[in-house]
This record gives sequence, C-alpha cells and structure tokens, in this order.
Amino acid sequence: MSDHEQRTPVELQGLAANDPHLQPASKNPKQAERVIAVCFVLGIIFVAAFGACFWINAQPWKIGATLGAGLSFLGIGLVAWGKYLMPQGPFVEDRHDLANSTDDRDAFAAAIVQRGGDVVKRRKLLGGLLGAGMGIFGVVAMFPLLRSLGPLPKKTLDSTDWRKGTYAVDITGRRVRVGDLAVGSIVTVYPEGTQNTDRGQAVDQTVLIRISNENFTTMKGRENWGPQGYLAYSKLCTHLGCPVGLYEQELQVLVCPCHQSTFNVLNGAEPEFGPAPRPLPQLPLYVDASGYIRAQSDFDQPVGPGFWERS
Amino acid sequence: MKTSLLKRSLILPTLALISLGPILLFVGGANASGHTPYQTTRKNAGTPNSSTVKKNKSGVVISYGNSAIMYNAPSSTLDTLGEALFMQNCASCHGTKANGVPANGVAAAYPDLVGLGPATIDFWIDSGRMPAADPRVVEAPRRFARLTPDQALAVAAWVNSLDPSLPDIPTPNLKNANAADGAALFALNCAACHTIEGDGDALANSTFAPSLRDIPAFQVVEAIRTGPGDMPRFTGNLSDYQVRDIVDYVTTEIQHPQNPGGLGLGGLGPVAEGFVALLLGVGVLALVGFWVGERE
Amino acid sequence: MSIDVPNTRRAKAQAKGPFGSVGKILDELDDRLGVAKGGRTFMDKIFPDHWSFMLGEIALYSFVILLVTGVFLTLYYIPSSDLVTYHGSYLPLVGQRVSEAYASTVNLSFAVRGGLLMRQMHHWSCDIFVGAIVVHMARVFFTGAFRKPRELNWSIGLTLLTLAIINGFLGYSLPDDLISGTGIRIAYSIVLAMPVVGTYIAFWLFGGNFPGTAIIPRFFILHVLIIPGIMLALVGAHLYLLVRQKHTQFPGKGRTEKNVVGSPMFPVFMAKTTGFLFIVGGITALLAAFAQINPIWQFGPYEASRISYAVQPDLYMAFLDGALRIWPSWTFHSFGHTIPFEVFVPAIVFPGLVFGLCYMWPTIERIFTKDNELHNLLDRPINRPKRTAAGVSVGMLIVVLFFASSTDVIANFFHVSLEEVLIAMRVLVVITPLISYPVTYKICKELQAAKGGKRKVANTVTRSEEGEYVATPAPVYVDDLHSDLAAMQVPRFIAPAPDDVEEGSGTRVVER
Repeated sequence: MSDHEQRTPVELQGLAANDPHLQPASKNPKQAERVIAVCFVLGIIFVAAFGACFWINAQPWKIGATLGAGLSFLGIGLVAWGKYLMPQGPFVEDRHDLANSTDDRDAFAAAIVQRGGDVVKRRKLLGGLLGAGMGIFGVVAMFPLLRSLGPLPKKTLDSTDWRKGTYAVDITGRRVRVGDLAVGSIVTVYPEGTQNTDRGQAVDQTVLIRISNENFTTMKGRENWGPQGYLAYSKLCTHLGCPVGLYEQELQVLVCPCHQSTFNVLNGAEPEFGPAPRPLPQLPLYVDASGYIRAQSDFDQPVGPGFWERS
Repeated sequence: MKTSLLKRSLILPTLALISLGPILLFVGGANASGHTPYQTTRKNAGTPNSSTVKKNKSGVVISYGNSAIMYNAPSSTLDTLGEALFMQNCASCHGTKANGVPANGVAAAYPDLVGLGPATIDFWIDSGRMPAADPRVVEAPRRFARLTPDQALAVAAWVNSLDPSLPDIPTPNLKNANAADGAALFALNCAACHTIEGDGDALANSTFAPSLRDIPAFQVVEAIRTGPGDMPRFTGNLSDYQVRDIVDYVTTEIQHPQNPGGLGLGGLGPVAEGFVALLLGVGVLALVGFWVGERE
Repeated sequence: MSIDVPNTRRAKAQAKGPFGSVGKILDELDDRLGVAKGGRTFMDKIFPDHWSFMLGEIALYSFVILLVTGVFLTLYYIPSSDLVTYHGSYLPLVGQRVSEAYASTVNLSFAVRGGLLMRQMHHWSCDIFVGAIVVHMARVFFTGAFRKPRELNWSIGLTLLTLAIINGFLGYSLPDDLISGTGIRIAYSIVLAMPVVGTYIAFWLFGGNFPGTAIIPRFFILHVLIIPGIMLALVGAHLYLLVRQKHTQFPGKGRTEKNVVGSPMFPVFMAKTTGFLFIVGGITALLAAFAQINPIWQFGPYEASRISYAVQPDLYMAFLDGALRIWPSWTFHSFGHTIPFEVFVPAIVFPGLVFGLCYMWPTIERIFTKDNELHNLLDRPINRPKRTAAGVSVGMLIVVLFFASSTDVIANFFHVSLEEVLIAMRVLVVITPLISYPVTYKICKELQAAKGGKRKVANTVTRSEEGEYVATPAPVYVDDLHSDLAAMQVPRFIAPAPDDVEEGSGTRVVER
C-alpha cells in the first residue's frame, strides 16, 4: 500500500488554490457568514411558526406573514451565500458555433430533398392522394372540436320570451301594478315565470321606469307604448350586453356601468355618449283592466349587442 | 444629407394637420347631451302599504309603518322653529314660501319644496347637502351637516305644514333583518350606481353616486324612499321589509367589511390590485433582482 | 474489482475512490444513463449575472407558485354551474341560491384551513407573473436579445404572454362572482361581434346562448389542464433554447460575441436562483397575507341581471377594456347584416395588430437594418434610438389604454366630469405615442457617446513625475471596471494520471 493520503490529492489544472477567482466576493467572509447564519435562523423560526399557525388554524394574515417572512429570509440567506461566499469568478465559457459544417448541412438537405424527391417523383399520384387525404382529414378533424360543443344559433338571438299579454314581474315574481311605481322609480322586470331562469335573467331582463303620470310617447309610432308614464327598455346594453341598471331620474338617462354608454330615456333610449351604437329596444306596454303592467308584444328588434345576422 | 430647414419646419405642422382630422373625428365621435333636464313632478311619492296607518283629526296621515320601519310625521310644535330656521338658511334660494321663487331672483330657479314630504327635506339637510355651499354646482355633494338633527326635523316640519305629504321620517328596526336578502336586493338595485362595495362612482354629466360608508340607517331609508336628486326612488316595488334588509346590509357589511384577506385596498377592485401588483409585487422583486445580480 | 480490500476503515474509504459514496452513486448512474459528460458540461454552464436577467426569473418562479397553489385550489373548487343553497359562515350569503363554483370558492376562502391564503397567493402571483413577463419582454426588446439566433425564443415568449393573459382571465372567471361574470358576458359579446362566424363560435364555445351551464366546466379544464400543459411545454422549450444557445450578455471587459462570462450553474448560479425562488415565494406570501384581492364574497354570485359600477378587469386585460371604452360607436349596418365595428375593432383587430406587430418585430427589424448576423452581445438601449423610441411609443399606447379602463374611477377620484375624462383619454391615446417617439429618440441621442451622439466623454487626468498633466478619455461605461479580474475557465478538478502511478494505489484514472 502506498503512503498516499486517504484521498488522492486533487490537482487544479492551471489554477492555484488561492487564486482570486476562487475567493469569496465578500471582503469580510466571516462577517458575511454570521449574517447569513442569522438569516437562516430567522428563516427556520418563521417557517416553524408558519407550521404552528397552520396547525392551530390562525387567521390568514398570520399564516401568510410567517410563511412569507420565513421563505424570504431563507431566500435572502441563500442568495447572499451564493453572492458573497462562493467563488466570485468571473468564469468564461466559449460559445461554439451552433451551425454545423457545410458538409453536414449539405448531407442533411440531401437526405430530405433527394430521398424525398426520389420517392415522390416516381409516385406522384400516391403523393397527391396522400396530400388530399391529409388535407380533408385536417378539416374534418376540427368538427368534433367545434360542432359537438354546442347548438347552431339559428334564430335564438332574434327574440325574447315577452309576448302579447305577458305580465311584468319583479325578481320575487310579484306582478307589477300601475300604482307601484312613483314618478322617478325604477324596477327590473322579467316575463312572468322566467325571473329565476337563465334566459329570463340574461335575455329577457327589462328595466321599467316611470317618468310621468300621463301617457308618454318616446317617438313616432310608439304613441301607446308608454301608458301612464311607464317606459320599458331592454336592460341589455347594445354595446356588449351588460345590464343597464344605472338610472338618473333628473337627467333622464340610463347609463351602462361597464363602459359608460348613456341612453336618453325620453326619446327611445337613443345613445348620447359612449360606445353603444344602437338605442335600447323599447318594450310596448299596456295596463290591463286590473291595473297590471303587461307587454303588448315582443321587442321590435333583437336585444343586446350586435352580431352578423342582425338585419 | 441634411433636410433643409424649410422641409423640416413643414413636417411637423403637416403631421399635426393630418392627425388632427382623425383626432377630431375620434374625439367628437360621441356628442354629450345638450338637452335640459326634465323636471320630474315629484308630488306623487306612492301610497304607504303598511299595516298601521294613523291619521290625525283632519285626516292627515301622521304615522304609518310596520315592525320593519315606522314612519312618523314631525310634530307640529316644531313649526315655528322650523319657519325661523328656514327663513334664515333656505329662503334666500328657495323663497319665503318654499316654492323655489327667491325674493329677487328668477322664478323656479331653485326646486319647489312644497309637497315633497318631510323625509325629503330632512334627508337633504341632515346629509349636509343643504344649505348648498355653491348653488351653481350641478349637484350638491354630501358635507358635514350645518344644522343639528333636531333643527333639520323642525325645518322639515314647517315645510311639510305648507302641504302635508309623504313619505314621513322613517325609523328602521333592524332586529330581524335578513342580511342575505339585503345583499341580493342591494346587488340588483343599488350596486349599479353605488358599486357592489358601496364606494360610489362618477355618473353622467358631472353627477356622482356618493359613497355609503358614512351614512346612518334612517338616512338610507330616506334616500331609498325619496330618491334625492338623480337617485331614483323606490316606493311600491320595495316593501318595508325589503328596505329594512337593504339598510341592514349597508350598515353592516358595506360599512364594516370583514376583509379577512387583509387590507381592503379602498374597495376599488382590480384597479387598485393592479397598481399594488405592479408597484409592490413586480417593483419590489425587480429591486431584489437588482441586488441578486451584478451591475455591469 | 478483484482487489481484496482489508477490513479497515481507511482501506474501505480508499476503495471507494477519491469521491466517496457520492462518486460511487454517480458511477452507477453513468453506467446506466451515460450522464457524466453531459452533467459536467451542464454544471459548468456559465450564466451572465446582470440584474436585468433576473426579470425573466421572476416570471418563471411566479409560474411555479401558480402551479403549486393552483394544485391546492383544484382540490377544493367544484367546477359546476348547478345551483346550491349556501350554508356557511358568511352571513350575507346564507340562504342565497348560488352556483356550486361560487359556493365552493367562498367555502375555500372561509372554511378551508389556509384556503384564503392560497387563493390570494394564486391571484397575486398571477398579476405578478404577467407584469414580470411584460417587464422581461421589454428588457429583451430594448436590448435586442430577440435577434438571430433567438427569434424563435421571442415568439415562444410572446405566446407564453398571450396564454398567461388568457389563463388569467379564465382563472378569475372560475368563481362565478358578479364582477367576473360580467367579464364573461363581455367576452361572449366580443365573440358574437366577429363577422360571419361570430354567432356560431359563441354558441359552440358556450354551448348555447349566454350564460348556459357549460362555460364554467369548460373554463376550468382549459385553465387547469390544457393551457398550463401548453405553457409548461413552452416554458421547457424556452429554457432549453436558452441553455442551448446560451444567454446573451452586455458588452464589456473580456466579453465577446464568442464567449459567455459569468458564474457557473453549480454551485453559484443554482444558489442564487434557488434563493430568488424563495424570495419570490416569500414576497407573494407577504402580499397575500396583508393585501386582500378579489373578495368574491362581497361581490355576490353572478346573476345576469345584476351589475356593479366600477367594474374593471384584472390589470392584464385592462388595456382591452380601455380600448372598448374609448373607441367611438361607429357601427356598420347594411344589406341585412351588422358588423359591430365598435366591438370588433378595439377588442379583436387592435390586439391582433399589436401582438402581430410584436411577433413580426424581429423580421421587421431585420428588413430595416439589413442585419442578418448572429448577435450574442446586447445593445444598450440608448445606442439603438429608433428601436427604443418605437418600443416606448407602443408601450405608452398600452399604458394609456390601461388608464383608460378606469375612466369612472379617475373621474370619481379627482371629482371631474366623466365625459371630460373620456375625451381626455381619447386625446391622450393618440398624442402620447406620437410624442413619445421623438422625445425618446432625442433623449437617446443626447445620452449616446457613440458617433453622432452628444454625450460628453469624461477624461482621466494623470500627473507624471515631472509634473506634466495628461488627459486620457475614460472608458465610456465606468461599470465595465467593476471586475478587476479577467474571466477564466471553470477550474477542472481532475488532473490526468501521471505516468508513474503504481497500479492499485487507490488513484482513479479518468480518460479525458
């Protein structure tokens, strides 16, 4: 057996053990080591505290604060170790050309072009048929991803559930009577029976406001649409479909809270400001013999935002 | 190769003119309204749908309500005090007869207060909106109240005596209120203007929906029932029980949010969160990165 | 090995070789996987240390936090639109009919131990993630790191940004609360606005008319499986390209196009980067502890006829909301068809143009500069005034749109008219990019020290022994003097075996 040490002495090629590159960056490594040790101890304490807070189900801020402090201290300690105590370098590495030699590139290109060309040149018909098959498959492969997801729109967007004689009810299902609203009041109404359904809420939602005690005409042709001062407009904004629930009774405007489109209540909800392009459709109303507010018919146009098929 | 001074001095104005066209089109693409506000007739505040209605000898309703909210007309003993306070603080704009005709001003320049009900008058004075600090502003903002609650009640009593009307001064009883119903009604009826967290926001034509953080319970009822300013009024379509539930929700969760997740960030939602994430999150981490990395 | 090892500690230790048990394990790995050479090369990989290279790491580690906290959340969230009656600790919701998705999220926030913290960490770290990607992208753009050979990495990064924004939108829509539900309604209308195919795609995506019951489960699967899967693959590709092409570096002392100067992967870079991971996690946890985000219990469940004011989307969608608010109501309606340009342009055409411009930028720059060379050294932004000015210009456009999404909040905060704020935003969105370009260009030119630039170069004045003063121009970038040491190769710790080593002495010989 030789007289060597327990391990073979490690020889650094071309680099002395006290080379400045291998020295820590800190001017006072012992001091840095103490600070990092403190960081780690604090980190351990806080991480343990996090465990304790979690165990006793403490308030969320305590759990989060201990976790955050613990991780931060551990991280700061680790970064400081790497930055101040490890070999400061700087070290260098050569970049080798990514590109291969011209010969290799030629061989690569030849493999694809020549081999492929040889095969297809002799079998042009097969190549064409394969291409056509892949193309058609590519198109129809989209069908399960798209068509199975949902129904065709058809005419779904063109109408709501309001019909001739439909009672207007509020969210609790209570029918609205002519004496319910004072001048300057607003209530969201739905066709009777739909107030708790998706379609009732999303499509049929209508604002009912009372602007006067006498019949009100918003524009020509709508003379009997506003009995005793009641006006009903679709609540779906014609910009992007947000509910236009914001009513200012002195300015007589409906404002959409999403992008601040402003609709003039008195002339058929014409948009006066903001990005909405069309007025809110108006629902023709009448008051029946018992004093209930009812619709004369559906809206005269599709409600909500625009789409291609909207004529 | 230098462009001549003439060419350079022409480039900017040309660019400005070319871009001015689309800018004007783009900016003027929306025309703000120019119509005059429609003066609503406010003398129909709805009939009380309550179980107890008490009238005085002349048949005037002096109190109505139920276990949720009791409405009481102010006592007529306050009339003289009210008249004196009114002449002192309000008559210069609203006129000595409270009909909006000031002594030496334009007729109907200021709102006619007769027949609006005592709750209306009480609300405007108690919330500090009246007497108006600047009569020319579009709408009077909430301020500290200049008259004490008793004085406000007196003024309301006197104005009401000119033409006794409804609604009367409410006193809500929140003992059996259902906060969940209140939350649902608030979301449907109130959040569109006041925001779901009750912080208020800017509305059209320089009007503002105020924050609900500092308002006492009875004032919430007054506002809902009387519809002050641009706020719509909710009369027959909300029962007293529903209004009580809304008031309970406002005075508990809106005004004292639990905020278990930490600081509420002003209730501004994603706007504030975005700023905090960018400045405190990415900013602090970038600074840490500045320490971790080198400077060259 | 056929050597008989005597039964002593020293002999056994010697028999293990100079690297002990770890060395033996690595030997076994190398026998099976052949990892010795590649592993050594990987650990020697040099990473330049500049602080601006840390920005991408913020994004990467935010992604890690998103994955970890996200796994926690998936264990409690129920992706269903079925209605249940809420019975929990939050009184204003008790007895209300809400969707299971909403109820499970409220339950997660109030009843699950650590649930609210995890939810908030997840949401904060998503905002930080997108913000860090944008800042990192800006660094890459302004220093020209996207040039050949890294155009592919630039495209991968842009795709990651797009997917991050989309996944963020899907994520905050999952609780089905009032504010995010409004966002989904707006998204539905934007899809509707596409000409010809809009109604079909909207009905297919949502399984019918709005809202339907399919959208929450579909958003869930997209958010937790499909998009994160794609993102993981892309992040992997992003990092692989980074390792293979090696990181870029700023020009400086000892740095050329043909080398990389910095610290080796193991142990220095690994220590710093792992520490940075912990710090990112720590800061996110602190934010989640002290700042509330997305308090969905206050918003209430989404019902299609409810709305709140002051509803803005999260910060990474805000520029789209701003564009929608300020674009005028120019719509097209003729021949029995409507093309809602007031929606189509700001919500589809505009982001398509911006992202398309970003994707095409390496090509555009190559066309304008006619520069097809490989670049491994970075530019200082002021040395490329046109590119910097263009980037600032487009960046300011996005910033103005970001502010434009809070028109109502700004009007309320400063107590000015809503209409005035909107008109001001419209003016700003046109003027700000137009002004930013020449201003930035001028500033760059002023700061430049290169030919044509106006920056004054400092002189170092030295005095010789005879008393003569000599002024020599100082190096342009004083920071380059930071390192007094010249870069050198990572030391090799193994010497080749000397010829006179005896057999069986315990020395391990490695053929290099």
